[in-house]
Amino acid sequence: MALTRRSFIMGLPALAGGAISCSAGPGERSGAGRDAVLFSTHSTKPGSKSILVCMPETRQTSEVWRGLSDELAQEFELIALRTEGDDVMATIARGMDRYRPAGLVLMNNPTVEGYRRLQAQAASAAFPPAVIVMSSFLEGKPAHLRAATGISYEVPLITVVTNLRKLIATPIDRIGVVHRAALTGFVQRQAALAHREQTAVVREEVSQAPNASEIKRALRRLKQRCDAIWVLNDDRLLTPRLLADGWLHGLNEPPWVPIIVGAASLVSPSQSFGTFAVLPDHTALGAQAASLMLDIADNDWILPNAGATQLPLSTTTTVDLTQAKERFALRPSALAQVDKVLER
Amino acid sequence: MGKLLVYLHVAVKQRAFQGLLGAGLPGVDTTAVGRVADFERALQDAPDAVLTLPVVLAAQGLTPTLRGLTRGSAEERYGLVGAGSAPEPGKVASVGALDLLGRDGTNRFVRRLVGQQARVERVTKIEDLLPLLQMQRVDAVLLPARLVADLRAASRLALSMRELDLTVGLPAVASTGPGAAGVLGAISKMPKDVSKLLGVEEWR
Repeated sequence: MALTRRSFIMGLPALAGGAISCSAGPGERSGAGRDAVLFSTHSTKPGSKSILVCMPETRQTSEVWRGLSDELAQEFELIALRTEGDDVMATIARGMDRYRPAGLVLMNNPTVEGYRRLQAQAASAAFPPAVIVMSSFLEGKPAHLRAATGISYEVPLITVVTNLRKLIATPIDRIGVVHRAALTGFVQRQAALAHREQTAVVREEVSQAPNASEIKRALRRLKQRCDAIWVLNDDRLLTPRLLADGWLHGLNEPPWVPIIVGAASLVSPSQSFGTFAVLPDHTALGAQAASLMLDIADNDWILPNAGATQLPLSTTTTVDLTQAKERFALRPSALAQVDKVLER
Repeated sequence: MGKLLVYLHVAVKQRAFQGLLGAGLPGVDTTAVGRVADFERALQDAPDAVLTLPVVLAAQGLTPTLRGLTRGSAEERYGLVGAGSAPEPGKVASVGALDLLGRDGTNRFVRRLVGQQARVERVTKIEDLLPLLQMQRVDAVLLPARLVADLRAASRLALSMRELDLTVGLPAVASTGPGAAGVLGAISKMPKDVSKLLGVEEWR
């Protein structure tokens, strides 16, 4: 039996973690106050330095750890500390005191916020270089932290479009996006990068706290002018109410255009929303973070390139094949280019 | 049923590749991996045979017992691809490449082909080479010349290729267990479309 709209929206746990707030779910809060070592590796190299990895315990962070440890375990002692709940700052402080790391890896927004508070409390102290991953809308040089760089969590639009063009046979030249004013700069930078692949971005700006009618209106305007819609992982725009009364209404009416989302939970053959999800490959993200840490180590533990953040290189893709086949012309080789195929 | 471990980078997703191998090698228990760390872990599971590049086999102290050939040769050409004019090997400052052998091994492999000056950016999938060019992270990417058409088809960048003089061995098979003979027999009869995906026309 098909999912109802309500059950689809209620079944979006990944979105809560992937959207802009990256707030901890109830399961994560059960570990509050503990600073247990989740994982550790021991280098065979004598006198090797330590890297402290501060992370909540989720499937995605474990994949990042796998990529990190595969790359770094021979060279360094790696210690992964669980950072969850209200005690994040104290957990990081205890870990730094105990292990004296040469570098840190910080995973997700609450961990980064805990580290920011730790730095603020010790304004004159020197901190080792840190690499941030899985933190929303990280761009440029992280201004709120000292000695920090990282990798953005958002898959760049240029990558999203490249992947969509492998799937859909019709030309994909103009991409529509609904966004709040707060994300105008982010969207403009993405548009500039996507321009290299001859992709134009059409923006529809909505208010800071839009209602469902605003979303529907913006989508209807975009669908008249664009070849696909890119849905940002902005939790202010993806509330259950806006999803049910705005997005689902606006998207599930002709003219049909492919809908690209950044959360796997928004692709479901039982309730047509996203056609295609493009997500970071978390194991590859860990390997990319490890390469960044190795570059820092090679640079005498000073951030290279003035600490500029990187974009994620590797992605995984999911397609709602039921929707895609009903509404769009697919390339003959399309399914060989997708990691996960969902079909009713 | 023999066990085959496959560590190769191809122009389709791992899911599709595993499916093609499963259908193309009936009676063989095939595991395909795409990362060097996964390959090294899977080697501990005692496969009967390993299908990968000869350079990877050599790094593990293994010797090919069955070689892939194309136009009678067990070697293929690699190309250096850049956005704009064709890259000059020996002059490129940074090169993106598939992580075949881990950090040190891949650095050596790439620098042997393009020169010692190159800083190497490693990726784990063929499709991840294009973002390196799109984001201007490297001057050029290195890949088998036969895969350049796929790269061009996926992009509207003006991509130019320079073929390199040195060649690299095509996929080959090493026997590593008692069930190897059966696995080698199945690979010899692999369907042409699957072999072609590996850059191979025949097995000898």
